[in-house]
Amino acid sequence: MATSSISKTSKIRLTPTMRRTIVGYIFISPFILGFIFWFLIPALASVYLTFQRWNLISPPTFVGFDNIERLFSDPLLGQSLKATILFTAFSVPLNMALGFFLAILINRTFRGIAIFRTLFYIPSIVPAIATALLWAWMFNTEFGLVNILITAFGGPKIPWLQSTTWAIPAFVLLSLWGAGSSMIIFLAGLQGIPDIYYEAAEIDGAGPWAKLRHVTLPVMSPIIFFNLVLGLIGAFQSFTIVYLITSGTGGPENATLFLVLYIYRTAFRNMNMGYAATVSWVLFFILMILSGIVFRYLGRRVYYEHEAE
Amino acid sequence: MKQSSKFSRRNFLKMSGVSAAALAASGLPLGRSASAAFRLQGVTNIVFGGWGATAEDEGVQAAIVEFEKQFPNIAVEWQNTPLASDYMQQLLTNFAAGTAPDTSFITSDSYETLAKGGQLMDITDRIMNDELLGQEGYFFPQEAVRCADDNGRWHGIGSTWVAAQTYHNLAVFDEAGITPPGFKDDELWDWDTFLENADQLTIDVNGRHPSDSGFDPDNVQRWAVDWPLGNFVLPVGAIYSNGGTWIDENGLVALDSPEAMEALQKLQDLVYRHHVAPRTAAMADLGMTNTQMVDNGRLAMAIDGSWALSWMNPSTVTHATLGTGAIPYLKEPKDYMQAHFHSVINSTAHPDEAWEWVRFLATPFYTLSFMKIGLWLPSQMSQVTEEGLQEWLTPGIHPDNYADFVTEYLPKHGVVARIPDGYIEADSNYITPAIQAIVNGTPVEEVMPEAVRQANEIISSMQH
Repeated sequence: MATSSISKTSKIRLTPTMRRTIVGYIFISPFILGFIFWFLIPALASVYLTFQRWNLISPPTFVGFDNIERLFSDPLLGQSLKATILFTAFSVPLNMALGFFLAILINRTFRGIAIFRTLFYIPSIVPAIATALLWAWMFNTEFGLVNILITAFGGPKIPWLQSTTWAIPAFVLLSLWGAGSSMIIFLAGLQGIPDIYYEAAEIDGAGPWAKLRHVTLPVMSPIIFFNLVLGLIGAFQSFTIVYLITSGTGGPENATLFLVLYIYRTAFRNMNMGYAATVSWVLFFILMILSGIVFRYLGRRVYYEHEAE
Repeated sequence: MKQSSKFSRRNFLKMSGVSAAALAASGLPLGRSASAAFRLQGVTNIVFGGWGATAEDEGVQAAIVEFEKQFPNIAVEWQNTPLASDYMQQLLTNFAAGTAPDTSFITSDSYETLAKGGQLMDITDRIMNDELLGQEGYFFPQEAVRCADDNGRWHGIGSTWVAAQTYHNLAVFDEAGITPPGFKDDELWDWDTFLENADQLTIDVNGRHPSDSGFDPDNVQRWAVDWPLGNFVLPVGAIYSNGGTWIDENGLVALDSPEAMEALQKLQDLVYRHHVAPRTAAMADLGMTNTQMVDNGRLAMAIDGSWALSWMNPSTVTHATLGTGAIPYLKEPKDYMQAHFHSVINSTAHPDEAWEWVRFLATPFYTLSFMKIGLWLPSQMSQVTEEGLQEWLTPGIHPDNYADFVTEYLPKHGVVARIPDGYIEADSNYITPAIQAIVNGTPVEEVMPEAVRQANEIISSMQH
């Protein structure tokens, strides 16, 4: 009994609120730990590395602002920015337009619609390696499906992956393969639009185009905005497909040297982790500024239903 | 009863804690230490990292079995990654994490960097004091050039040699009445002979040669030669044969010298001026390998690495008789030789055992298995003696004249280069894109001087 009373008195008593708080933290701990270990610590390490020269095999050496100075005289950084911006400028709007168009097409109910929804979505979940192999063959100059279609309409054979002119358009075209992921988000948004809006518009004499312009697009604007921000970030971070198709070279002649591929190559092929970290911060600031611009100038045009209420 | 069976929040937390602890504990010995569980008493476990497809994988595994018979107190754990480029990235990460293997393959372009960075063990004294490896003339004479640093110290041993060679369809040559090149000095082709014969071997769909009027370069029935520039082992020999060099005595890229640029231009001219070779892209677009094209006569002669003999040999080329010979030369015969290294990693806790394994890899047992399948060339002089040749020359793999390649041609005309620290970055950023531009038809003079200038800026920054 004596032992039992001692143990009872020495026990820390938790109030229900404290218990709930602890449980709450435990439940969000995967995110917090992930954030600390996979973002915060690497981010701080990359700040440190920005001022170091480190080839991964010898200890890092302090080089002051050398890496930052190099940014301003590095022709490859210019080239990789050019390639990334060109790719983003075309792939994001085209992907969104195609995703939106497909979502409208499949936002209806008829027999077999599930098959169409599945078919349009499947490409976006095909593993990257399969997509790369498939499209490398599709872009084959002599026997590729893309050129067969072009020549069938009297066009020339285009050396998609060999020409510095056509390599970026090839990757833009290839990116449309993944339009299913934005389509599915658009579809979810479209299905959330109450029929009552369309009925009201019809009573006012609105045709399909007017309904799209004055009902669908405004109500969908938060989804469009969401897809735009995600699309911009995703396009700026493009890596896997270009790495696989160009064998990591970003060829031909660095024409497809996207920024993340350049960072990767600088770090793990060229053994220059310090400069790679510096270029990573360039990417971070570009994305931050771009997101800021998008939020500043487009965010205010987004219509939120709950705010209207 | 109902109350007691309820899974309370406290129990959930306890179980979560126990699970997390168990996971953490089980995660600790992942990686190299995991094998510790399988260690036998008195046996030292060493890790050997490298890359390779099935043939290399099987060869290494067979070598491990033999080695462990000879050294029962050492166990070798082979960690294989399919591609060399992937492996080197993995190795770098291992260096950064302090988990490098004990012994490893080292690519020829990273050997100097890693040796200079202190990652590779100095094995000079061990080699010199070794009864077998320390013998005068044990290795090919070029071995010391590639292995020794400026102070004559060795940080690895070359695994083998590989070099560029020709693979040709003898029936096509017979039909054209042309004697193909061989490996003996009087069988080699100078550039004029090469161009003259290449013209005769190339025909369009109307049977015309490139020098004939009305030749249609867009509809070629058979090309004389495919000499790709993409894998730099293949064109480098032509640069040396023109009196140029790839890396100069100061460790800088010298591809902007008049001799080097002239050689590269002559290689490009084969495609765009003489129309005797297909564009690289055209080859890829045809969907046929050079082996298939030599086999079916669409290509009279392919220039490829000696390693390609393991898949382009008399047994695989079934519709034609396959011949081999030396690459054509410009001013004097030269061929570039290289291969990856085997090294002991400095951080090993078992330097003696690790050395025994690397030493074993430089003895005939290991190299023979790869030589027999046509993948490797010999690097030990005992393998090119009359008796030694019988050990590895294999009917159905090695054509009849193949012995001449290793007994006469390479010892006399083989050149090697030490690839300087920084070359990897210089190459991926500037040299490879310049070569891609040349492949796509840009004149060499337009791209190479600037690419070399930028490449050498990087290399120079490493030297200071």
